[in-house]
Amino acid sequence: MASEEAKEYVLPPEVLEETMKASEELWKPVRKIKFRIYKYNPRKDYAPYWEEHELEVSRGMTVLDALLIIKGEADHSLGLRYSCRMGLCGSCAMMINGKQMLACQTRVLEAAGSGDVVELRPLDNFPVERDLAADFTSFFEKHRAVKPWIIRNDDVELNNPTGPYKQTVDEYARYYQFTDCIKCGACLSACPTAATDYEYLGPQALAQAYRYIVDTRDNGLDVRISVVDTEHGCWRCHFAASCSDVCPRGVDPAQGIQLLKKLLIKRKFGFKPHKPAEALPAKVKAEKKG
Amino acid sequence: MRESTIMFLHYVTAILIVITGLIHLLANNDPVIGATIKANPVLYLGNMAIFLAALLYHAFNGVRVILIEMVPDRCWTKWISWAILIVGIVTYAVGLQVLMVALGFA
Ligand code: SF4
Ligand code: SF4
Ligand code: FES
Repeated sequence: MASEEAKEYVLPPEVLEETMKASEELWKPVRKIKFRIYKYNPRKDYAPYWEEHELEVSRGMTVLDALLIIKGEADHSLGLRYSCRMGLCGSCAMMINGKQMLACQTRVLEAAGSGDVVELRPLDNFPVERDLAADFTSFFEKHRAVKPWIIRNDDVELNNPTGPYKQTVDEYARYYQFTDCIKCGACLSACPTAATDYEYLGPQALAQAYRYIVDTRDNGLDVRISVVDTEHGCWRCHFAASCSDVCPRGVDPAQGIQLLKKLLIKRKFGFKPHKPAEALPAKVKAEKKG
Repeated sequence: MRESTIMFLHYVTAILIVITGLIHLLANNDPVIGATIKANPVLYLGNMAIFLAALLYHAFNGVRVILIEMVPDRCWTKWISWAILIVGIVTYAVGLQVLMVALGFA
């Protein structure tokens, strides 16, 4: 029986051959591309400079693949940051031909378009750590400042939980998209306000503040107000929406910030974002048992 | 004052500018409506006083926002706000006096 089931999942030879062929096609070198790479070590170099490398690239090769080849074969000192290689960790965001993108999610040929040069530099609006790696210290400080966690006042329930907190699908949908943020920094890098106002909290932190404030399990609006409702908080956003334009996860931080502004104004007239969610009472469990 | 209050007033003054500005334009350009409005000089002065206040608040707050973004240092932020507030109040006082003289109240 088990072997019969297993047989069902074996690919027919012609499909297997086709797949192998497609895969070979994907990795066959098709074009020579010149990589223009920003080099700068603030601890050592007087000024930034550019380095050029030429590489035969295939259709499937991502910018990160190319960078790792260059690092392995031509320039071992090349500084870059990456981890998951599948668009999940947010480490590899950089300026690829002038636009904020994830190196592991961008194919070289897609970035090059009809040209034959791919220019790579660290994210704008960030200090340089080394070469293509930006310094995220202030970015994460801003993220931490908005207290990106659930804040509750019911200590008794927190210490002795009686059940999960109640939340409807509609309530979940209000903040769902913002949970997709991978903290890659692309949005802050594209933000024109952040370009001049380095104290500005930025799209990522503000969208996360909104995400937690509208979460019905959260009760931290008043705590976060002292951070977001300031001279360098959400009111400095001019709704250019460049942040949403570059987000690799399809999050819309610009929308989050406008909703946050609306929420702050409504609060002036006594509106609260939501009633704090109650824990699904123990009686539910008791009823089930009964 | 919280930033949200300042910005809320910024939006309110934008609406006030449109309303009081329209009254001001009609008073000076439409002979029929103009005569009706100017028949009550106290109300017209009130309209102009609100127009001037809204205009100055909106304009000076705009300048404050630009300066805060250009000079983001936190210790400068407070100084910029206070300086703009003082300049705004002085300008309003002078403007109000000019209005009163122009409309024959002083
Ligand atoms: S909102 Fe998008 S662009 Fe900004 S940090 Fe999160 S994932 Fe990156
Ligand atoms: S919408 Fe706001 S946060 Fe986004 S890029 Fe524009 S100014 Fe920056
Ligand atoms: S390496 Fe993790 S997102 Fe690119």
